[in-house]
Parts: sequence; C-alpha cells; structure tokens
Amino acid sequence: MEALRAFKTIKKDSPYDRLDPRTRFFLSTVLALLAIYSSRLDTQLIVLTCVLSLSFMAKRVRVILRGLYGSLFLLVLIFTLNFVFTPNLQGAIYALVMTLRFATLITSFALFFNSTSPEEIGIALEGVGVPRDFSLLINMSFRFVPTLANDIQIVSDALRSRGLELEKGRLYNRIKNYVYLLVPLIIFEVRRSMMIAEALEARGYGLDVKPTRLVSLKFTWKDYLAIGLALLGTFLLYSFGFL
Amino acid sequence: MSESEEKIIEIDNVYYEYPEGIQALRGVTNYVLRGEIVAIMGENGAGKTTLIKHFNGLLKPTRGRIKVKDKDTRETSVAELSRIVGIVFQNPDHQLFAETVFDEVAFPLRNFGFPEDAIENRVKWALNILELYQYRDNSPFMLSVGERKRLAIASVLAYDPEVIVLDEPTAGQDYLQKEKISEIIKLLKLMGKTIVLVTHDVEFVTMYVQRIIVMSQGKIIAEGPPHRVLTDYNVIRRGNLLPPQLVRISRALYGKSLLDRYDYLSVEDLSREIISKMREANGGTSSI
Amino acid sequence: MREKLVYLRDVSYRYPDSETQTLQDINFDGYRDEIVLLIGPSGCGKSTLARIFNGLIPNFYGGQLQGEIDIAGYDPRKTPTAKFAKTVGFVFQNPENQLFFNTVERELAFGLENLGVPPAEIRKKTDQVLREYGIEELRQRSPFELSSGQQQKVALASVMIMEPQILILDEPTANLDPFSALKMLGLIAKKTREHRMLTILIEHRLEIALQFATRVVVMNEGQIIADGPPLETVLKTDYIVGAPPMVQLSKKLQSSGFPINIDKLVPEAMALEIIRKLSKGGLDERKRREDNRDR
Repeated sequence: MEALRAFKTIKKDSPYDRLDPRTRFFLSTVLALLAIYSSRLDTQLIVLTCVLSLSFMAKRVRVILRGLYGSLFLLVLIFTLNFVFTPNLQGAIYALVMTLRFATLITSFALFFNSTSPEEIGIALEGVGVPRDFSLLINMSFRFVPTLANDIQIVSDALRSRGLELEKGRLYNRIKNYVYLLVPLIIFEVRRSMMIAEALEARGYGLDVKPTRLVSLKFTWKDYLAIGLALLGTFLLYSFGFL
Repeated sequence: MSESEEKIIEIDNVYYEYPEGIQALRGVTNYVLRGEIVAIMGENGAGKTTLIKHFNGLLKPTRGRIKVKDKDTRETSVAELSRIVGIVFQNPDHQLFAETVFDEVAFPLRNFGFPEDAIENRVKWALNILELYQYRDNSPFMLSVGERKRLAIASVLAYDPEVIVLDEPTAGQDYLQKEKISEIIKLLKLMGKTIVLVTHDVEFVTMYVQRIIVMSQGKIIAEGPPHRVLTDYNVIRRGNLLPPQLVRISRALYGKSLLDRYDYLSVEDLSREIISKMREANGGTSSI
Repeated sequence: MREKLVYLRDVSYRYPDSETQTLQDINFDGYRDEIVLLIGPSGCGKSTLARIFNGLIPNFYGGQLQGEIDIAGYDPRKTPTAKFAKTVGFVFQNPENQLFFNTVERELAFGLENLGVPPAEIRKKTDQVLREYGIEELRQRSPFELSSGQQQKVALASVMIMEPQILILDEPTANLDPFSALKMLGLIAKKTREHRMLTILIEHRLEIALQFATRVVVMNEGQIIADGPPLETVLKTDYIVGAPPMVQLSKKLQSSGFPINIDKLVPEAMALEIIRKLSKGGLDERKRREDNRDR
C-alpha cells in the first residue's frame, strides 16, 4: 500500500515541478532505459543516485524512500530469486544489479507520477500528438478509479449482507464467492459508462469543430536545459564505458 | 425489562474512523427497541449509513461496541448478523445478478443454508407480499425501477430477519411508489418486525415513525417522537432538513396566536383546527 | 409577445427493439422565462421527452421519432447531439456521471473547449463562472472530494458556462438532502431569471420543487395529461403525482367552503392567507355583532 501511495499526485514548488510534464517523463524514461541497458553494478549505483538526486531537487526524497521501503519485500524477492541460482560472488553482484535496476524503475516513475496529475498527463499526451479521444480516456480512467473502488465496496457490502461469505472459509470458496460480485458490478459499470457517454455528448464532445484547450504546454529554457543535461549525462556514461 | 422494551440493538459509545482517516461516528450511544419503527435522519455525510452498516457487522467500531440481540458485532460474522438484521441498501442495482427473480430472492436463503423446499415456500411468500410473483421467472433486469426496489425488499424479507433496515427507501421514488412502500412498512409492522428507516424525507416520516434520531457530523443531536423532533427548528437546521410543510404553516399561525400549538403533522388534524377557527370567525357560517 | 423556443406537434417516439410507443401525441410549446416542472410516475416518458430537447433522442438512442419538432431552430433528427450543446444545457441526475475531470476548473472549461472557444475567452469565462457560483476556492479541487450538493453546483455551472437558452434538468436533486435540494432549485430558478431561459425541470419532490414552477406538465403512460398553472394542475392530477401536504390542506379547506388563494406555493405564503382570512373573518364577525347591538 505504501508503495502505491508514492504514485499519488502531490503538487510541490520545486524546479522539478516547474518542468514541462513531457520533460519529466523524458527524464524518468532516460534513467529507466540506462538502468535497463547496463549490466554493470557501478552504473546501476550511478543511475539510482541520479534518481535520488532528482528526487531531492523535487523535494520528494522522503516520499520516494517510503515507496522503496514499501517495495522492500519485492526487492528482496528479486535478489533472492536471482542469487539462488548462482550462489557465489558473481551471482550476488548480478542479483544486486537486478535489484537496483528494479529499484530505479520504480523510483524514477514514482517520481514522475507523484508530480504529474492525470490532467497534465492528458495534456502531455495531446502535446505529443495523441488523439483527444485517447487522452480523454486516460484522464477519465484516473478520475474514475476511486469511484470504481467505491462501487466494488458497495457491491460487496450488499452481497455480504445477503449472507455471501467473503471473510471466512476455504480459500477456494472465497474466490468462488468473489465471482458473484462480477455480474452486478459489470452491469452497473456498463450502465454508468452509458450515462457518462450521454453527458459527454450533451456537453458538446464530438462537435465537428476543432477543440481548444484552456491550458497548453510550453517548453522553457529549463526544459531544454534538463533535456540537454540528460543527453549529456548519457553521452558521458557511454564514452567512459559505463554502458 | 419487559418484552416490549427489549433492546434488540444496543449502540454503546461507538466511534468509527474510515481507513483514509475520516471520523464518521464520534461517540454514538443509542438503541433500537424490538418492534419499533425508528427513523435515522440527517444531512448527507452525517454518519447514518455508516451507523447502519454496523448493525450487521459490515463495519466494526474502532471504539465502543454494538450488540445485536446480545451478540457483540466485533465477534460475530456478517452472515450471522445479517440473519437478524436485514439491510436493504439504497440502490438495488448494486446487488442484482441472478437469472430469475426467483433466484434473486432465493440467494440469501441458499447462503444461509435453508432446505430447498423451505426456500420454495419462502420465496413464493415474499414475492406475493411484494406483488412480484408474476415475474418470478423473469430476469431481474427486466423489472422497472420501482419493481427492482420491491425485489430488494422481498429478497430480505424472504429469510425473515427480525430487524429490517431500509436505506433511503423513498429516494427517487414517485408518489405511487412511495405509497406502495408505506403499505409495505405497515405490513412489516403488523408482522412484528422492527424497522429502521434511514431517510431525509420529512414528509414520509411523519406518518409511520414512532421515534426519530437526528444525526449531524457523526453525532446524535436529537431524538424523540416526530411531533417533537420535527418542530424543533434548531435541530432541523443542523440536520440539513426542512420542517414538514404543515409544521411551517402551523408555526406561522401559532405565531399569530391563532393556534395553541404547532406540532401538527397530519392534514386531517390541521384542517379540522383551521376550519373550526374559520367557522368561529364567521359566526358559524361557512363561506367568506 | 412571449418568445417561443420549443415547438412539438404530434410527436411520438419508440425506442429501438421496443414494441410499445414510449411517447405519443406529444404537443408542447416552451417559452423563454419559463420554469416548467415536468412530472409523472416512473416510466411515463418524461426522461425520454427531456432527451428530445437536446438531441440525445434520436441521435444517442436511435429509435423512431416522429412529428414536428423545433428546438430553437434545430430538429434533433437532422442535428447531432453535440451541436445542441451550445443552445440546450442538460444537467443529469447523478453528479458522479457528469463530472469527468480531476479539477473543477477543467470541468468548467471542458464544454467551451469542445465548442472551440479561444483559450483566452475560456479563461475569462471560467473565472467569471467561478465567481458567479461562489466556487472560487474549489478551482483546483477534485470533484470527487466535494459534497454532492457542491458537485451538482459544479455540474450546473459547467453547463451554464456555455450560455444555453434552454436548460433541462433530470432529477437534479435526487441525491441531495432537503436543504441542499432547496438551495439547488433556488439557484436554478435564479439563473433562469437572470439568463432568461426556458428551464424544464423533472422532479419528484413536489414539496420542494413546486414553489419554483411557473407551469406544470404532467405525463402518464407516454402522453401529456395536464399542462397548466402549478396549483391547479397538481390538484387535477393528485391521484397520480401526489399533492404536497400544503396542497392537500388547501383542497380540504376548499371543500369545506373556505377556499384559500395561494399564489406562491410556499407554506408561509399559505399561512399568511389563512391568517388574513381569519383576521378578516374576525373583523367581519365583530362588525356584524356591533351592527346587531346597535340595532
């Protein structure tokens, strides 16, 4: 749960937040790709340090560390699974590389999602040419996650009140019982999506006019600087043989 | 304590905090007597639905305790408590899933382990009472909104719980549907059921309810018979309710000393008073 | 001369795959500066009729729509729903299903974005509406966090920002407590007057809604069975729609020979009339006794 909380969006006043969301995404992607590409332990450490420095600049170190702590179980699991097959120094290093790689992936994207609201993700997607329908879909998916979670709770409450056992008993039976939630839930959500579609059209969505946008994105010198530094960093790592 | 005064549900200093940190109930103490019709009223978010979910164990108090027929809800399963307290939630569409109306009503009976022949009888009985028997082989989704609501009630009635809780039974219902629900409540009372209504329909509540509990922001702010609670403007304001129309009229007349009291809840009573006053004012003749 | 905005003549409608007519013989004229309360039992067709006004029928639902229809110059059979949005605003029952975004600001802007309004103007209108509806501090809040009363207010504002001439509301207060419902309907009435719209309101809670209506239309089984002034129309159809307690009281008083003239359907106004009648009656009675004494 703690790991998921790192992904929730909080707005802060930091140089990182002032970057265009597309830039932030680019930075996270570059770091992730570097981690994936390299099999060297020292590179992994460098990249992870970069992520943490970026978190520091974004004033989100504690959030990111908490996210890491929350995924500790997963990280230990990855290390163990890899180490078990080659239980020697070589294996340990390799397992460590795998673990650090995973940690970088989690933290670099947690950083992005923690600072970027679904709104901004939508605008960013449109900014790179994604069709409006799709960005609206992404936006609404985020918006309706808590609603869906609520509906699941309501349906399960209603069924439990009618004697459906979801708490005790053999695991097999409990899983079988959860299936009872599916029918009312699916029908309910399908109906809901019809009502949403109605409301969208009633608000003018789909008009044959080119839609405008209240907020639009613009690159500033900070973005060019950040992108430039990222590319420079990658180049340096490459030329010094770290990759 | 005499039989008629038995507390079938006891609420003892209950606090409830949702996982996200919202304090929904902040020290609620009350009870439900066997056989009474009690209404729980208050604004959206006052804690009404949170409270009733404690009655069948869906929620367990973070502090304090709830006893249903002397069973502590923290130590009893939802299934077991639901046998005693049947909750009909506001939106029937959140629970419909069966292929036929019959199966929908039979579902809880099967869960509770009733034998198949008893199930047959009970389902028939419940559907008849709710005037849905002719639809027994239809899909629940083919029924109208009002019929689905009655189906939800039938589904609870079938397994014969001692307490029936109705969460906003009149919300979104038209006049004829509300009349039907009134009749059902009267019938349930005749059957000796204990009825808890969560509602903010002040007009509906004046007719059937013996006691009203008003909640606001997780606490109980008032309790008493309708003619006392619904005439207390302070309580009404805090509960985000509106006074019943007849109370508003009688209050104005009372303010001009034309009436001795303003707790009139029925059209018959108030009209009788006004007509007699009108006749007096005209020296016995009938029109002005 | 009142300006007619809506004209329906001999209109009927059948949903696709349906064997029965959902609407038949519908004749309706709607004018500017009206608040029409559309009532009737569940299934009578009022929600269907409401959806003709903004083109959802027949565009979204399909089916067969027949008759003469003119909605501010548009015919829903020839005009897509989105095109109606500029002229006809529709507020639905469930706020959850008509608020699509994570900030109130974006929600307000959305309709104008769809219409292709330039960003600077959207900015101006958004600021204005936030002020006008008293929701400025909610600008960056997520609609999911708001109370249902606030949510419906945001829903109304995001429709009104498009400056419609006709406003349709399908049970907008269904999820609200009585006080919030009263406030919401009061807001709708106020905006109808300010913007001089034709408002068509579907509501079941007559004890709250009736006071705001300038006209009541009653439907049953797909047809309009009554259409006229609020009190008179509800009295005529109370066996179907149910009369609020004060209307029942007026009926009882009338049948006992004491008609009460209510022009504003609010309990306090009725009380005032009763007080007036009783005082006047008292005055008349005292005068009569004095006259008798003097004789």
